[in-house]
Amino acid sequence: MADAHGTTPPWYFRIPIHVFLITGSILFLLPLIWMIATSFKPLDQTLRYPDSVMNAFVGQGHRADIDGRAFDVVLERRVSPVHEHRVFIVRPSAEFAAGELALPFGKDVWDKYPVFNKQELARMNARVTPTMNALTDDRNRFDPETGVLTLCSGRTLPATLVREVLPDPEGSPLWLVREWRSSDTDTKEIGSAGGDVTRAWDVVPERLLRETVRVIPRNYPIALHRVHFLRSLRNTLFLCFMTVCGATISSLLVAYGFALMEFRGRDVLFAITLATMMIPFPVVMIPVYLLYRDLGWVGTFKPLWVGAWFGSAFFIFLLRQFLLGLPKDLLDAARIDGCSELEILWYVVVPLARPAIAMIALFTFLGTWKDFMGPLIYLNHETQFTLSLSLQAFASEHGGTPWHLLMAASTVFSLPLIVLFFFAMKTFIRGISMTGIKG
Amino acid sequence: MGADLRKSLKGYAFILPWLIALFVFVGYPFFAGLYFSFCDFPPMKDPMFVGLENYTNLCTDPVFRRSLGVTVIYASVAIPLGVFFALCLALLLNTRIRGLSFYRVVFYLPHLIPTVVVALLWLWIFNPRYGLLNLVLRLVTTVADAWTNVFFDLPAALVAESFVRPSVTLLLAGPLIAFLAFGPWLRMTLAESPRWRLFLRICGVITLTLSIVTTLYATLHRLLPVDMQKLHSPGWLSDGNPLPSCVPFAPSWALWGIVIMGMWGVGQMAVIYLAKLQDVPTELYEAADIDGASWWSKTRHITIPLISPVILFNVVMAIIGTFQVFAEPYIMTGGGPEDKTRFVAMFVYDQAFRYQNVGYASAIAWMLFLLIVGLTLLAFRISRKHVYYAGR
Repeated sequence: MADAHGTTPPWYFRIPIHVFLITGSILFLLPLIWMIATSFKPLDQTLRYPDSVMNAFVGQGHRADIDGRAFDVVLERRVSPVHEHRVFIVRPSAEFAAGELALPFGKDVWDKYPVFNKQELARMNARVTPTMNALTDDRNRFDPETGVLTLCSGRTLPATLVREVLPDPEGSPLWLVREWRSSDTDTKEIGSAGGDVTRAWDVVPERLLRETVRVIPRNYPIALHRVHFLRSLRNTLFLCFMTVCGATISSLLVAYGFALMEFRGRDVLFAITLATMMIPFPVVMIPVYLLYRDLGWVGTFKPLWVGAWFGSAFFIFLLRQFLLGLPKDLLDAARIDGCSELEILWYVVVPLARPAIAMIALFTFLGTWKDFMGPLIYLNHETQFTLSLSLQAFASEHGGTPWHLLMAASTVFSLPLIVLFFFAMKTFIRGISMTGIKG
Repeated sequence: MGADLRKSLKGYAFILPWLIALFVFVGYPFFAGLYFSFCDFPPMKDPMFVGLENYTNLCTDPVFRRSLGVTVIYASVAIPLGVFFALCLALLLNTRIRGLSFYRVVFYLPHLIPTVVVALLWLWIFNPRYGLLNLVLRLVTTVADAWTNVFFDLPAALVAESFVRPSVTLLLAGPLIAFLAFGPWLRMTLAESPRWRLFLRICGVITLTLSIVTTLYATLHRLLPVDMQKLHSPGWLSDGNPLPSCVPFAPSWALWGIVIMGMWGVGQMAVIYLAKLQDVPTELYEAADIDGASWWSKTRHITIPLISPVILFNVVMAIIGTFQVFAEPYIMTGGGPEDKTRFVAMFVYDQAFRYQNVGYASAIAWMLFLLIVGLTLLAFRISRKHVYYAGR
């Protein structure tokens, strides 16, 4: 008969099970793949409505052949959609607001003069000097006979014609493009540089554009720089080291006491220990915070690691269950040989309990690395921030727009745990299994 | 007596760190929190006893009522879903098939990702315009729309056509005639081969499920065009409207988002189940096989009872966990839209650290504690009848 319990099921069961599991695996992996895919995308591609699955995962770009040379370009806008609106490059002879013009344009496009970024202009709503050129299209009209430029706001200006962009002889539509540079991916350079951002613009027929894949490894150094990675990593590793040492040593001592020593009130104390696991963190959070504040420790690392040196109920419980399974004879033999309890602990118990100790160290490391609420409450200076906090600070300071940088930093932040997991898979699985079985 | 005392002292020396922690980090804050909850405790001043004032204020605080409602709704959706999905996953993984360790790693992987990263990643996935989830939803709806069109329009067109062209009637009647003609033969053949019968049964179940889902989708699509349009691309975290709008107390899109995000971390529970599942002695299944038990009855009468302690464990852990959800809503929504994701733990944090109402925050934390204890006791109470402990 068909059996899906612990034995190999026949093929007509195996296939549907595999189908389910593969679908599930894809669904579970998809967010991580999306994270990594985003981390390699250029900025303009993260904020682009994905029109296909491919576009969503791979940063797309365009290359244009201009005068026989290939340039990486960003498509800004299609111009000359209708024939009756001829495309001119004109120089207005009076001031106008940036918002009045659909497309501000370089002084002299063909020589790749510097111009303001379009969004920048719109944001600043700056008065644009008449030295700047404008590209006309269906929204900004220019009449070459009278020399009058009609802005999209309806106002008219006198303007001089610089050049007429001739339609492509093969009839393909024209695109306003700007040169793509790898610095585009750093939001800080765009944001803070103000009016100094230089960009070269051009008008290129669609025929000369080719699609390319744009993978930007440069996102990573930029992102790491922006979250102050080294500093945060140092803070996080310091906390991890202190908590791992503290939790293992204290849990070992206490669990040894509970498991292998006899004293009055032991079982009652252990029962209380188990009961404390039920207390939710928010209940004790406030008084403990006040305690640390009275000690003057808020704003230092101490509140985040001192507690670990006094043991934690869960690890004590796990380790005690493990130690109870050790052969009693071995301990008695050591006792007869005249070992003190500490010697027994160090020479007999620790070598035997190594898997359980590794598990506690691993889980403590994981917990400290992932912790968010603790650092959020106790740390208030930027130089002390852990990785969690730095990442969150970076995200909130930008309102969550530089997704490519956020995802790059996130990938780097998660990677050590994943690598650790693959190296210590057995310890992990054993630890998780123990939590369930003994619980 | 002297030796006994010495032994006791030695024991206490070993557990001394934990004894200190028990008093300083557990006992003192626990009762101090209780005391503070009855106090007015302005910052930089001493607490002043005010009796039940904080609690009476709580009862009339609309934000607290909303946050409690949100937390309870979230828990009542997320806990059963999570426990159930994890169990299904573990049952699937418990078969001895190739690639088991790969699947286990994949399902456990999300649990390794730091909370902040999970929150930011899902914030990006939930982006209504550029996010992954709405992209996938768009793809699914495109496929589903095409399929429902076939499902609804093709039969109607065929019936209409058969009035015009009698040959089409044959197309419709063909399968019926074939079934009538070959049915007995098919049944005979299948009776001789239990494997094929099972295979066909599985195919039948899958087809049936698919057609039920499609019919439901198509019906909804025709009955509720406005709501379905929203189903194609909801605003997720910024979207406070419940789904669908006619159901009262339905979680908002934002809350559904957090539920979905929670389901991503279900692998941890599944691995715990799996460990227990692999402890179930195979002799029991062999005995059941001899009795001719089906897969379902083996699952129902052997597997589930034997792993019921772990189910209880997972439920209790899920209760404790879901009522303390803080980091995700804090990072992702900041409690919005319209307090639809302001969980109680976040309300405690806001009151304690943002508005410095320590007394009030303690009262909320204690309400949370009582709620968790109550629900845990309820879980134990309900489980008493259903949980099977081997050797007890």
